[in-house]
Amino acid sequence: MSSRIPIVPENIKPLPLLKENEGMLSWVASVDHKQIGIMYLLASMVFFVIGGIEALVIRIQLAQPEFGFISPEVYNQMFTMHGTTMIFFVVMPFLIGVGVYLVPLMIGARDMAFPRLNALSFWLVIFGGILLYYSFFTQSGASEVGWFAYAPLSEKPFSLNKGPTYWVLGLLAVGISSVASGLNNIVTILTMRIKGMTIRRLPLFVWMILVTSFLLVFVIPVIASAFSMMLLDRLLGATFFTPAHGGSAILWQHFFWGFGHPEVYILILPAFGIISEVIPVFSRKPIFGYEFVAGSTVAIGLLSVGVWAHHMFAVGLGNVANLYFSLASMLIAIPTGVKVLNWVATMWGGKIYFATPMLFAVAFIIEFVMGGLTGVAIASAPIDWVVTDSYFIVAHFHYVLYGGSLFAIFAGVYYWFPKFTGRMMSETLGKWHFWLTIVGFNMTFFIQHFLGVMGMPRRTYTYQDFPYWGSMNLVSTIGALILALSILVFIWNIFVSLRSGKEAGNNPWHAWTLEWATSSPPAVHNFDLVPPVRGRRPLWDLEHPDTPDEPNAKVV
Amino acid sequence: MNIWQVLSSTWNMEPWVLITALALLVGYGITTGFRFTKLSALYILGVLIFVLALVSPLDYLGRTYLFSAHMIQHILLLLIVPLLLLLGIPKALAERALKIEPLGSAMKVLGNPIIAWFLGVGAMWVWHLPSLHNTVVANDNLYIVQQISFVLIGIIFWWPVFSPVESRRLSPLVSTLYLSSACLGCTILGMLITFAGAGLYTAYLNPADSIGILPLLRGELCLTPGVDQQIGGLTMWVPGCLIYLVASMVTIARWYGAPEESELIPNSGAGRLATASHKNK
Ligand code: HEM
Ligand SMILES: [Cu+2]
Repeated sequence: MSSRIPIVPENIKPLPLLKENEGMLSWVASVDHKQIGIMYLLASMVFFVIGGIEALVIRIQLAQPEFGFISPEVYNQMFTMHGTTMIFFVVMPFLIGVGVYLVPLMIGARDMAFPRLNALSFWLVIFGGILLYYSFFTQSGASEVGWFAYAPLSEKPFSLNKGPTYWVLGLLAVGISSVASGLNNIVTILTMRIKGMTIRRLPLFVWMILVTSFLLVFVIPVIASAFSMMLLDRLLGATFFTPAHGGSAILWQHFFWGFGHPEVYILILPAFGIISEVIPVFSRKPIFGYEFVAGSTVAIGLLSVGVWAHHMFAVGLGNVANLYFSLASMLIAIPTGVKVLNWVATMWGGKIYFATPMLFAVAFIIEFVMGGLTGVAIASAPIDWVVTDSYFIVAHFHYVLYGGSLFAIFAGVYYWFPKFTGRMMSETLGKWHFWLTIVGFNMTFFIQHFLGVMGMPRRTYTYQDFPYWGSMNLVSTIGALILALSILVFIWNIFVSLRSGKEAGNNPWHAWTLEWATSSPPAVHNFDLVPPVRGRRPLWDLEHPDTPDEPNAKVV
Repeated sequence: MNIWQVLSSTWNMEPWVLITALALLVGYGITTGFRFTKLSALYILGVLIFVLALVSPLDYLGRTYLFSAHMIQHILLLLIVPLLLLLGIPKALAERALKIEPLGSAMKVLGNPIIAWFLGVGAMWVWHLPSLHNTVVANDNLYIVQQISFVLIGIIFWWPVFSPVESRRLSPLVSTLYLSSACLGCTILGMLITFAGAGLYTAYLNPADSIGILPLLRGELCLTPGVDQQIGGLTMWVPGCLIYLVASMVTIARWYGAPEESELIPNSGAGRLATASHKNK
C-alpha cells in the first residue's frame, strides 16, 4: 500500500523538467520559494492571455457603432471578467510571485519564513481562478455586474444567476491567499535577513514589498468581510446591501473602495520597487535619494487608505466630504512625484544602457506620469462629475495599470529572466515587443481620453453613430490588436529564449543586489556563500573593496 | 453682525487659561535656568497655541454654535499643543524630571506604548460620545477638565514617539505602526461622525442664540447642522490623520539620519523582531 503513495521527491535540481521521472510532482508538491514564484508567474501569464482575449472581444464589439459582434449580456460578462482577471489574477499574482521568488534571495535567506503557507497561497489563487472561470459554465454565464459589483445590482433580486456567487467565492479564495502571503512576506523580511542586511539597507524592491504586505494585511480583510456579507445576502437572504429591506447600498461602495483604492497601490508599489532596481543598474549609479524613495513609499501606503471616497464623488456625499477627499487625494501626488524625481535624478548623468528592461522602465515613468496627471485632475470633484463613468476614466486607469504596473512587470521579466532560467532573453525580440507595446498601448488608450470627454460612457455595450465616435473607436481597436501582437512577440520571446537564449552567467547586468551573487538559476539552497553585506550594494562593495558605498560602515 | 464682527467680539479671556499658560512659561524658564534654545521656541509656540485655542472665537463658537469649531480646537489641544510642548523640553530637564517620584514611575506606566495608545485614541472616542459631549459644553467645570485632559493625554500619547529622552522612544518602524493604527482609530470615529447624519450632537442643533449670529452661520455661511457635523468629522479624519502621517515621516527621517549602529542586526534565520531594538535597551 505504502509503495503506491508517491513520495514527494527531494529537490535536487533548481528547475526539474516535467518529463523527468516525477517531474510534475516535484512542481506541484513544491514548497521551494523559487518554484512557487515561477508557478505564480506562469499562472499570471495564462490569466493574462485569457484576460487579454476578453479585452479583444470588448474592443472588437466597440470597433463600430451599433455593432452586433456579441450580445449585451456577453459584453457585460466580458468587461466584468476582464477587470477581475487582470487585477486579481494577473497583476497581483505576478507581483506577489516575483516577490516570493526574489525577497529571500535579496535578503540572503534560504526560503520564505513559512514555505508551506507560501504554497497554500499559490494554490488558493489557482483555486480562486477555477471558481471564477467555472461560472462561465453555469446556466446564464459569468458575473455581469462589473469588477466593483455595486449593490444592489449584484444582489439577489437583480442578479439571479450564479455568476456573482462564483465571483465572490473565487475572490474570497484570492483574498485569503493575499493576506497569507502578506504575513509571510512581513515575517520573512523582518526576521530572516542575513547579517549586515539592516532594514535601512534593504533593496528598495524588498522595502516596497514590505509596505505592500502591510497594505494587504490591513485592507484585504475589509473586502473579505464585505464579500462574506454579500454572500450572506445572496445565499441566506440577508439584506446588508439591499436598501429596500433596511440595508445600505452605499455601504458596499464604502467597503469596496475602502479596499479598492489601497488595492491600486498594492498593484503599483511593487512595480515601483522593480523600477527602483532596474533604473540604477542600467544607469550605472546608485539610486538617488534612497531614503526619499523608501520614506515616500510609507507615505503613499498611509495616505492611500484614507482617500477612497474619490471613487464616490458622484454618489452625493456632500460638498464638504468631496472637498476633503479631493485635497487628500491630490496629496498622494506629492510622495509619488518624489519617486519620479528620484528616478529621473538617478538617470541624470548616468551611463545609461538601453537594454529592454531599461526601455520599459523609462517608458514606465512617462506613461505612469500621464496616468498620474489625469488622476490628479479627476481627484477634483467637479472635473470628476464631468468624466466619471466615461472612457476618460478607462484611459486614466489603463495608463496607471498598463503603462504603470504592466510596463514594470515587463521590465522585471526582462531583467530577472536570466536569473530565473539561466538564459538571456532575446534583445531583438525584446525591442520588437517594446515598440509594438508603445505604439499599441498609446493608440488604444490615449484616444479614449477624448472619447471620454466627448461623453462616451464606459460599461455600455455599444454606442450610436455620433460624429467621429466610430473612427476613434476603430483606432482604439486597431491599437488593441497591435497590443495583442506585442504580447505574442513577448510569449514567443520567452519560448525562444528558454530553448536557445544566450547563457546568462551569474550576473549578466553587473547588478549589485544579492540575488546576482548566486548561480542562474539559483541552486536549490539558494547560496553556497553569501557575500558580506556592508552597504546597500553588496556586490559593488565586493568588486570595489577600495571604494565601498559606506566607507564608515562597521565591518561586521 | 458680519463675520468680522463675530470674530473680533467673541474673544474670551478666561483667567484659568492665562494663569496656566503663565505657569507653563515661568516653570519652563525656572527649570531651564532661563537658557533658551531653538527648542524653546517650539515650547513657547505650544503655549501660544494653547492660549489661542482657548480664548479665541474657536472656543466660544465651539461651545455654543459649531461642532466643527470644537473639533479644530480639539485637534489643536490633543495633537498639536502637546507635541510642541514635548518637543520643546530639553533632554537634560526631562531626565531630571523623571528622577522625581512619583513622576518617574508614573511616566513608566503611562509611557508604555499600549497604555499611551489607548489613552490617546480613547480621549478621542470617549470625549466624543454624544451624550458626554452635550453635557460637557453645558458645564463649565467639566469643560475645563476636558481641555486640560486633552493636553495631558496628548503629552502621554506622543511620549513613546517624541520623548525628549531617546531611550524612551519606540524604534521608527514600530512608531510608524503606533501612529498609523492611531490614525485608523480616529479615521473610524471621523467616519462615523461624518456619515452619521445631522443631529448627533444635539447641543448644536438649536443653540441659544445670545449674540444673534445664527442667521449668519446657517444662512450666509451655509453651516447647517449637517454640514457643520460633516466638517467636524472630516476634520478629525483627514487633517487629524495627516498629523499622524507627518509624524511617521519625521520618525523615518530621523531614523535614516541616525548613525547605523543604533539598529539591531539580525542573525540570518534568528526569529527576533529587528524592530523591537529600542524597547529592549
Ligand atoms: C496620482 C494618484 C491618483 C489619483 C489622484 C487617482 C484618482 C482617481 C479617481 C478620482 C478615480 C475615480 C474616477 C471615477 O470613477 O470617476 C480613479 C479611478 C481609478 N484609478 Fe486612479 N488615481 C491615481 C492613481 C492611480 C493608480 C496608481 C492606479 C493603479 C495602479 C489607479 C487605478 C485606478 C482604477 C483601476 C480606477 C477605476 C476604478 C473603477 O471605477 O473601476 N489610479 N482614480
Ligand atoms: Cu482611487
